[in-house]
Parts: sequence; C-alpha cells; structure tokens
Amino acid sequence: MIIKISHKTKYFFENTVPRLIQTLKLYPTSCKNQKVLEWNISSNKGEILNSYQDSLGHNIINIYIKNLNGQQEIKSEGRIQTKNFFGTFFGLSDKVNPLCFLRHTNLTYPGKNIVKLSNKIKKKSNLIEFCHYLNLVVSEAIRYKSNTTNNNTSAEMALEKGEGVCQDYAHILISLSKYFKLPARYVNGYLVEDENTKEYFTHAWVEIYIKDLGWVAFDPSHKKCINEKYVRISCGYDFIDASPIKGIKLNYMGSEELSYKVDVNSIQ
Amino acid sequence: MLFSSMFNEVMEGSLVRKPYNKVFNWAEALPKNIILQKQIQAENLFKKIGVTFSVYNNYDVSERLIPFDMFPRILSAAEWSKIKKGIYQRSLAINAFLTDIYNSAEILKAQILPEELIYNNPAYDIRMVGFKVPKNIYSPIIGTDIVRTDQKDFKVLEDNCRTPSGVSYMIENREIMMRMFPELFESLKIETVENYPSYLLDILRSLAPSKCKKDPNIVILTPGPLNSAYYEHSFLADMMGIELVQGTDLFVDSNITYMKTTQGARRVDIIYRRVDDEYLDPLYYRSDSLLGVPGIINSYKTGNVNICSAPGAGIADDKAIYTFMPEIIKFYLAEEPVLKNIKTWRCFNKKELQYVIHNLKDLVVKEVHGSGGYGMLIGSSASKKEILKFKNKIISNPNNFIAQPILKLSTVPIFSKNRLAQRHVDLRPFSLIGHKKFKLVSGALTRVALKKNSLIVNSSQGGGVKDTWVLSE
Amino acid sequence: MLSRTAENLYWTSRYLERADSIARLLEVAYRISLIPNTQEGYNNEWESILATSGIKQDYLTSYKEIKKEKIEFFLLFETDNFSSVKNCIEKSRDNIKMVRTAVTLEVWNAVNTLYYRYQEYVNKKYSSKELPEIIELIKRQVNLIKGTILNTQLLNDGFDFLTLGNYFERADFTARIIDVKYFILLPSSSFVGSQVDNFQWSLMLRSVSSYRAFKWAYGNSEIDYIKIIDFLILNSQCPRSLFFSVEKINHHLTRLKKIYGEKTASLTKINMLYKTLKSSTVTQILDEGLHDFLSKFIKDISSVYQSVEKKYFMTSQ
Repeated sequence: MIIKISHKTKYFFENTVPRLIQTLKLYPTSCKNQKVLEWNISSNKGEILNSYQDSLGHNIINIYIKNLNGQQEIKSEGRIQTKNFFGTFFGLSDKVNPLCFLRHTNLTYPGKNIVKLSNKIKKKSNLIEFCHYLNLVVSEAIRYKSNTTNNNTSAEMALEKGEGVCQDYAHILISLSKYFKLPARYVNGYLVEDENTKEYFTHAWVEIYIKDLGWVAFDPSHKKCINEKYVRISCGYDFIDASPIKGIKLNYMGSEELSYKVDVNSIQ
Repeated sequence: MLFSSMFNEVMEGSLVRKPYNKVFNWAEALPKNIILQKQIQAENLFKKIGVTFSVYNNYDVSERLIPFDMFPRILSAAEWSKIKKGIYQRSLAINAFLTDIYNSAEILKAQILPEELIYNNPAYDIRMVGFKVPKNIYSPIIGTDIVRTDQKDFKVLEDNCRTPSGVSYMIENREIMMRMFPELFESLKIETVENYPSYLLDILRSLAPSKCKKDPNIVILTPGPLNSAYYEHSFLADMMGIELVQGTDLFVDSNITYMKTTQGARRVDIIYRRVDDEYLDPLYYRSDSLLGVPGIINSYKTGNVNICSAPGAGIADDKAIYTFMPEIIKFYLAEEPVLKNIKTWRCFNKKELQYVIHNLKDLVVKEVHGSGGYGMLIGSSASKKEILKFKNKIISNPNNFIAQPILKLSTVPIFSKNRLAQRHVDLRPFSLIGHKKFKLVSGALTRVALKKNSLIVNSSQGGGVKDTWVLSE
Repeated sequence: MLSRTAENLYWTSRYLERADSIARLLEVAYRISLIPNTQEGYNNEWESILATSGIKQDYLTSYKEIKKEKIEFFLLFETDNFSSVKNCIEKSRDNIKMVRTAVTLEVWNAVNTLYYRYQEYVNKKYSSKELPEIIELIKRQVNLIKGTILNTQLLNDGFDFLTLGNYFERADFTARIIDVKYFILLPSSSFVGSQVDNFQWSLMLRSVSSYRAFKWAYGNSEIDYIKIIDFLILNSQCPRSLFFSVEKINHHLTRLKKIYGEKTASLTKINMLYKTLKSSTVTQILDEGLHDFLSKFIKDISSVYQSVEKKYFMTSQ
C-alpha cells in the first residue's frame, strides 16, 4: 500500500523566544516493511539540520532558532510504501539489545493495579499466543475515551481511571509485558483508519520482543497486530522518550500553544 | 576484628619499616608544643586557601575543612611501581570493556558476565550504543580505591570512573607539608605531585573530537558552588589555566558548543564534566535539569565536542561489575590482574546470597549504586536490630547488594593528642588515560579514619587526609 | 573572560556598595535620633530611607507601622527584604565565591571576613543598642575590601567589572536619594534661609556622607540649595556625585573597549551622558525640573547597564 502523509505541527508563542532548540524524530523508519518513497521535513523558522542516526535507528534532526516571534510550523510530508508482515519486522536498524527494554520508567512502572491485572493472566508456553492474549486483555482493561488522560498519565493511573487513549493502552501493555519479563517499547506512527474516520491519525502502539521472532508490533487499542496501514516513526521506553518532537526554550517567559493537523491517505 | 591482625605500615615487630625510617624518628622527636603549633598552622593554611568541602544534610549545605593529619603516608619506589602497573592495566581494561559493551558486546556473547547485569542496569545508557567515542576513551580519569592488606598485597576496593574527587587534596596536602616541614623534603627523595594538572590537560587535549582541527578549547563543567567538590573544580581549572563553566555559561547553536565570554561566543571542543549523566542535557535526560546544556548531546553525537567522561561510562564502576574485574582484565588483555579484588559476594547469585544473609555479622554490605560510604552495613559494629533490618532490605532486592569481608585496612599513625596513634587508611591514586597515553603522578590521596578502630575513611563521615609520599628510590 | 565571571565580579561590588549605602543612611537616622524634639524629621528620614531603597511598601506590608527598631532590623537583617544588608553581604559573597580564582586571595579573605563578622550579628537577637557598632563594622569592612581590591588586583578586565558594579550602584543610589528629597532642594519663598532648611540640607548631605566634603569644597559659606545641587550632581571631586560615578563608568567602559578592541553601545551611551553632565549647570537642571532630570538620569544609567549586560554578560543568549 502506498500511504500519503502530511503532518503539520504548529507552535504559537505569546512572547519572543530568545532561543529554541528542538530534536525531531519525524523520519519514518526505513525497513523492509516500509519503504520511504519520498519524505520531506521543513520548518518555517530556523534551519533543518540532519544531525545523526541514533542507537534506535532514528534519523535525528535538529532545529536551532534565535528570537522566535509568533509561531513556528513544522511540516513533514511524503509517501511511504508499506507491506504487511503481520506485526513482525525485517531490516530494522536498531542497535540496542532488547533486554534494555525490561527497564521501567515512571509512566510504565507496575503498581498495584498492574499487578492485580496480571494476576488474572495465565502464562502460556507459546509466547506469540501469550502476547496476543496480553494485547487482548489490555484492550479490554480500559475504555477508549479522549481528553480524560494527559501526557503525564501513567499506565497505573490509566488503569485506575478505567479509560484513556491509545497512549494509555500502550503504556499498560508495556508495563504488563515487562512484568512478565518480556521486553516492550512504545511506538509512535500513523494509521490509515478503516472506518469512523477520526480527525487525527497519529497513533501509538507497542512492540514486544519475542525470542526467535524479534520485535513484534501489537496495537492494543485495536486488538490486533499492525499491518500495512501502519507507518512506524519513532520508538522509546514510553510516550515521553519516544516523542517525535522535543524542544527546550531558553530564557523564555510566556505561554505556548500547540495545534496540529495530520492527513493520512492511502493511494493504492 | 583484632586491631593487631591488620598490616601496620610503619612497624614490623619492634622495628621501623625502611620507607618510614627517617619520618618515624622525626615524628617521635617532635616536641609536643611544636606538634600543636604546626597543627594550628596547617589548619590556618587550609582555611586561608579555602580548601573546603560541602556536607549535605536535609536542610542546609555547610562548608567544612577536611581534617588533615601531618604524619605522611609513605610508599617505596617498588611498591609504587606495582600499583602503577596494576592501575594502568585496569584503566586499559575498563575502557576496552566500555567500548565493547556499547558496540559488539563480545564479553556478553562469551558469557563472561550475565547480560542482565549490563542491559538492565540504569547506568548503561542505550543512547550511547553504537556511537564512536573519540579515541575509544570513555573514562579518561579514574580514581582507584586501594587498600593494603599485607607486606606484598594491595587490593582494589573500588574503581571510580564517573567523577572521582580528591585530587585537589593530594596537591594541597603536599603544598602544606612542604611549607611546614621543608627539612623532610631535603633529606628524603620524594616524587612530586604538582604535575597532575598539566598531565590532565595533556590527556584531555589528546581526546579532541573529530571536527576539532585546531588547538582544542577545554573547559571544566561544574554543577556549581553548592556541589561538594566545587573547590576542586575551581582549583583544577585555575591550575590548568582553563575556564570553569556552569551549564548556563555554555550554549549550543547548530550543533556547535559555545561558551559566553566578554568578547562574545567562543567555541568549546572538550568538556571535562563534573556533572552527572542525567543532568547533562535536559533535551535528552532529565528535562527539569538546570545544570546541563540543552543540545550538548547533539553537539557530542555530531563530533563537535567531546564530553569526558563519556555519558554511560559510569557502568564500569558499578559495584556489581567490579566483582567481574578480574575476568574483564583477562578477557580483554589476556593477562592476570596485577592488583587483586577484594573477595566479594554477589547477592544476585542465590548461593552467595545465602552465605551473605547468614554471615552478616562478619561482612560489609554495600549498595550496588551507592557511594560515599552511604547505604552500607558494617556487620561487626551494627546492632542486632540494624542487621535484621538490613537483612530484609537485601532479601527484598538482592540485585542491589554486594558483600565483602570486613576489610583489613592497613594502619599508619596519626598525631593524636600530641602522640602517635595507629589509624586505618586507604589509598586513592588518580590515573589518566588518553589517546596512546597513560599518566599517573607518583602520589595519591590517603584517607584516614580518625576515630580509633574505625574503618570508615570517607570525608563525609569523619575521615581525614594525609599527604602521600612515593620515594624515588 | 567568561561572561559569568564578569557578571559575578560586577555584582560582588554592586551589592557591597549597596550594603555600604544602607549603612550610611542608617547612620544619619541614628544621628537624628540623638537630637531631641525631632520626631518629625526623624520619621521623614526613615521614610526617605525606605523610599530610596524602593521598599517602603514591602516594609509596610510586613510591619504596618514606622517604628525605629523594626526599620533598623528590616534594613539590616530582614531576609524578606531583597536589599537588606544581610542579603547584600550574602549575595556579594555568593557572587565572589563563584569566581574565586578571578580575585586575589586577599580580596576573597576580606569579603569572607565581612561575611563571618556580620553573621555573628545575624545569628543573635537584634538590639538597637548595637546599631553604631554594626554600622561601623559594615563601613570599615567594605572600605577594607575596596582598598584590598585596589591594592592587590591585577588591573585587567576583571578589575573593570569590579569597579563598574560599584559605580553603577552609587550613581543609581545617589540619584534616588536626591529624588526622594528633591522637595527640600526646591526654592520656596517661605522656607528659604530658615532654620528648617539648614537642618534638612545638612541631613541631605550627611545621608550621602558628604557633609564634611561639602564644607571642604565650599568653605564655611552658607549652605544653599544651588550649591548642594551642584555638589551632589555636577561636582567632579565629590566621590558621591552623579558626575563622579558617570566619569568612572565612562573611564572603565573605555578601558574595556581598548582591551577588547570593540566599540560598544554602552560606551556610546555613557559618553553622551558624560558630555551632557559636563556641560550642564544648576540653572539648566532647575529649568528642566529637578525631578524630571533625576528620573531621566536613572533611566539613562539603567539603559547603559542593559547594554553592558547584553554585550559582556551575554544574558540574552
């Protein structure tokens, strides 16, 4: 499938920002599952610097802006050709040992709710089946509801609330997988929605490391493995670590607002 | 533990050991009033220079003078030569180990140490995987804590690869001894320690990043005056003739690191940082850090600046990794370790754990990530209640602990109430390893437990320091 | 030199000068309190002190009423008062501590001594009886530090920043104190030549430690407001006059230009201010309006400082 994506992120600043430094992980993963036919990242302010490839295979881009007035728009757009490998990957340029993804972060630390959930789960000898089962359990653990959780909501807090968005489903699945000693990580990307076309298409899911199979991607908010409708952008320990745009404003006093618009269309 | 079973560095039976011959006679002959007078003089000199360290409690940071004892610690040329050989070997092995675990991880494939010990260790920084560190030197400055257990043997207690401190005391202690007792320096051949700053500069200069084409601009990055080692940071910068900077003195633009000067922005090539990993760059590590420099990691990864020691180098001084140092040395250098480790039980190993929890009374238990003598149990001097409490702590998280026998730290006298009294000491030499270079000044910091029979030498817990002499023949 | 080093040196001496100025103000107030039947003048004096330091409102919020002992404590020791002598001394020391190696051991020791000696008073309950010895301590130690700087520091760019802090503070402080009392300097037919005037004017001079200096400069002739304005604003020999501070700032910014080989906005600005003051007369100032003149001066000096900050301290980077 060829997927056409246009992703705009706009920042509105109340006052002049003396110095802004950004790190972008906005380049789609290049592997056999997805071929980048065309991809372009631009910013209306500052210069785009292609800095380096990091240990997880992200092409890191940096932007340095001095005395930024008003707004900044970061645009990434292009076309990706995808294939369905039923969640598995071929040709990831990832140098980090999967065992590193057994470490917990604040957002994925297993508290009493995760432990309670895990008690209901019977370990299966077939790891693939077991992961599908975990994915299913998580998909039913909370209800999908937007605007009830935020960027600081941990897996534990989302479970407590009983509702959340894709990010919360992902954190719960990561936490649970690690609890069962399966390395797991957070993935950001785009999804071509089948039905009930929603306003935005940025999505988050989970990769679990299964021995002999490698990283396998599960989408707990849709109860399935990923397929050719998914485009992988960035990964990390959790939402914060994987986030595609990080910025630091120096000597800035004032507020900041964010808006974004994503168009994802399949062409074929 | 019987005091007499520990090695006495000065006396061999009723005879004085050779390196101490002159000094011991001199010390015994010193009149009481002179000792007192000299002690006051030493203290005033330290105060005047401003050598202080900060002690933290929950409420306040206060400055204190580190207690100084005038009786020197002396090592013969032969003893020092062994130490030097052993430290050189360890520095090579540590850097080879770091290069390996951040790249092909051969040592793990060979199953020399368990994968989990590295990969599940927060000190292992996954952002450093596959990154080519300038000249493959991750940890150019290493402080090795050594204890002497008998006539022949020096054993390594700990390797400090992150930001070992104390080198300023080594130099200042010497300065003060030379001012107070010049006659001793005339009659004995004592190796100098004052070349340390120029050695350090030389080593750092050899580690310029790939994009630095000129004479590199080197700075020391300090967390600021509230840090306990701030005096040392400013001392070193001053002696090396380089700038001492804080995070806010630097900024990164287009992946290049600059420092702010009264003559505008000036490019920085090498940073000797005394700031911990997690505070280095709020863009990558703790976003609430005010000590670091946003963008510095970009600058580092693009070869525009070198950060010494490298982020993630701290894993090499993890106490659990320490227990594998003999194997690590053998693996990379195909040599036997010159300096042995202290026998250590690893609590993550079930069998060893059993031994530890049943023998707590005779052991010292340390937290794997702890430092400065905090979070440890000394079985022989702990109450039953304390032992029980610690036992539960170990059982609930065995991976976090190692245990060692109660150390037989050697003894050297101190001037106590105007007479000589034996006290326990350790030794911390500061080695420097750069691109095809190894430097070690012939001298070290000797820390001394000032309380009778105490084995804790840390300055934060009532330890003092001594000048350390290496004789040139 | 590192920008922060320059900035720390600057603030070290700026805070010292402020501590010294406050001590001198307190000295005048103390003097009035020794003169009988001057309750009114006394209160005026205290209010002036609070107004000069720009902290009258802060004080009234914390203490409600103007009371001698409370004001003294507020100015000397109150932690919540940004410009209390205690805070000034601590900030001065904090600043110099960051740049220990940029000053001589003697300078560091001198600042440290002031800090520890003052700390002895900080740590005990304040009693008004001790006011004279406290004032004496501050004045003596600050003079000692300034002398040590002159006597031991290398006369490099660091010395310039150390000196700049001193004179920026003094220019600002003197301008404010004249402004607070500007009404007593205005010619008013009903008061001219009266006892009240003489008393007020002598206080005015004393509050900037210039009473004796004035006498030296103008002999024993009668004090009048024209002489006072001339002395405090335009006199080139009075170390407390605005002109004197401006001349010093001008001198040190010129030196920096020579050392660094670069012309700066701050130098252009101070040059202009210097020339204007040099050619001014008291009549011109009175025509312009004393209050307006002083307000403009304070704004101009602050603008020079902002240029220094931007250029040398690189604070906007």
